[in-house]
Amino acid sequence: MSTKPAPIYADNAATSFPKPREVIDAVSAVLGGMSLSPGRSAHRYSLECSRVIFDTREALADFFNCPDSSRIAFTCNVTEALNVGIFGLLGEKLHPGDHVITTALEHNSVMRPLRYLEKTADISISILPVSGDGEVMVSELPRLIRDNTRLIVVNHVSNVTGAVADIEAIGRAKGDAVFLVDAAQSAGVFPIDVARMNIDMLAFTGHKSLLGPTGSGGFYLRPGLGLRPLKMGGTGSNSEAEIQPDFMPDCYEAGTPNTLGIAGLGAGVGFVTRTGLAAIRAHEQRLCRLFLDGLEQMKGITVYGPAGGRERAAVISLKVKGKSESAVAQSLDRDFHIMVRAGLHCAPGAHRTMGTFAEGTVRFSFGYFNTEADVAACLTALAIISKN
Amino acid sequence: MSYGLGHHQQKLKNMWSPIQPTPTCVVILFSIHFVLKAEKLLKKNGIGHDVIPVPREISSDCGMAVEFPCLESEKVLELLAAAGLRLAGLYMRVGKDSFQPISAGHLAVNAVN
Repeated sequence: MSTKPAPIYADNAATSFPKPREVIDAVSAVLGGMSLSPGRSAHRYSLECSRVIFDTREALADFFNCPDSSRIAFTCNVTEALNVGIFGLLGEKLHPGDHVITTALEHNSVMRPLRYLEKTADISISILPVSGDGEVMVSELPRLIRDNTRLIVVNHVSNVTGAVADIEAIGRAKGDAVFLVDAAQSAGVFPIDVARMNIDMLAFTGHKSLLGPTGSGGFYLRPGLGLRPLKMGGTGSNSEAEIQPDFMPDCYEAGTPNTLGIAGLGAGVGFVTRTGLAAIRAHEQRLCRLFLDGLEQMKGITVYGPAGGRERAAVISLKVKGKSESAVAQSLDRDFHIMVRAGLHCAPGAHRTMGTFAEGTVRFSFGYFNTEADVAACLTALAIISKN
Repeated sequence: MSYGLGHHQQKLKNMWSPIQPTPTCVVILFSIHFVLKAEKLLKKNGIGHDVIPVPREISSDCGMAVEFPCLESEKVLELLAAAGLRLAGLYMRVGKDSFQPISAGHLAVNAVN
């Protein structure tokens, strides 16, 4: 009788799994214990919900070294946060004829809004190039900055190659432009200090390395920087006024929020803080190193992204010679119970720079709860697939 | 930032006597976030307080407010100012459902951001 192998989840760059027990408990406690409607009524359930949201906001402010937690607003994911940032700047800091700089490693959640503004609002875009092993060439930034550069958008960690951008150096060189950092892959693994890194806006999601549920995320916005809200409506504050409040966080949080998701996100941030970013990063990088070393011994596998001992996230893109990406991913899942992601990972620009457009790559992404045995199983499976 | 509440403080100190109930003040903030921030600060500094619905006599707003002993008002206002919290209003409870605005002239009541 054959025993079914336990499934191995190696798609943490999409959504982390599993979640810490306390995240599940926090969501469950809120769903079963209160009304989910914060800041709307004056009864105890509403107040308890408000406290859950307040506590998560304070935890995130501490986590990103933001002294005033009211500068953190919640959204349903990093895509919404990036859209609020990019579209919200239009008419505020960004006007027709202005210039924006971004990188070749951006996700579609940045490139699609920017390309839309290029087409409809006369915004011009320059792309910060990427070196051969997938690292953003920050040294090129001063050459690209113009008098009318109003916005610089940078993906902190590539969701395709795991390459880490030197956002501190970009923060130093950004000039007067608004510096928007996409921390989708980095928050919860790499340290982010909005003050030290001179970040004007930080967009993050809850469901990846912050270990929260899907539907949770948000952004930090530097004091003094205003955005046009993308949605307006009830905030539970200033109810007598028919105009949207102009103060944070209320101005960007119209409508009843995802109290469940925010509760889980708060517990996730608590877990990450208690475990320690350094410990989480060390574990993920050990797995990453183990995987890369194993792949090096294997014939017929091409690995993309930072080479050698460069700092990187545990996101590894590869190709198996003679096999389509979808066939490799399907075999991994069907025959070995290993879950990965194949294709372009919503970042066609990154694949163009690596020469893997339009078929994409097979992406393994390990998280804090993966083990060395998981990595060994992935290597064994790849060895078998690549030989057949 | 300072709210210049000195003369009120003095008046309250003169009024206070052990046989009278301690007079309380109600601070109105711009949203529930700031109410909970104020609550956290007061708790941390050992100042007794209640989070209450904004009294209808003060405003039709459906939010919450913080009530605390007026004797602590100087310290409370200092703490709120140090944390950058702006006040939407400050009142003294003069009866069960009756409130008197105090120091309105000194308060920053304009929108924040």
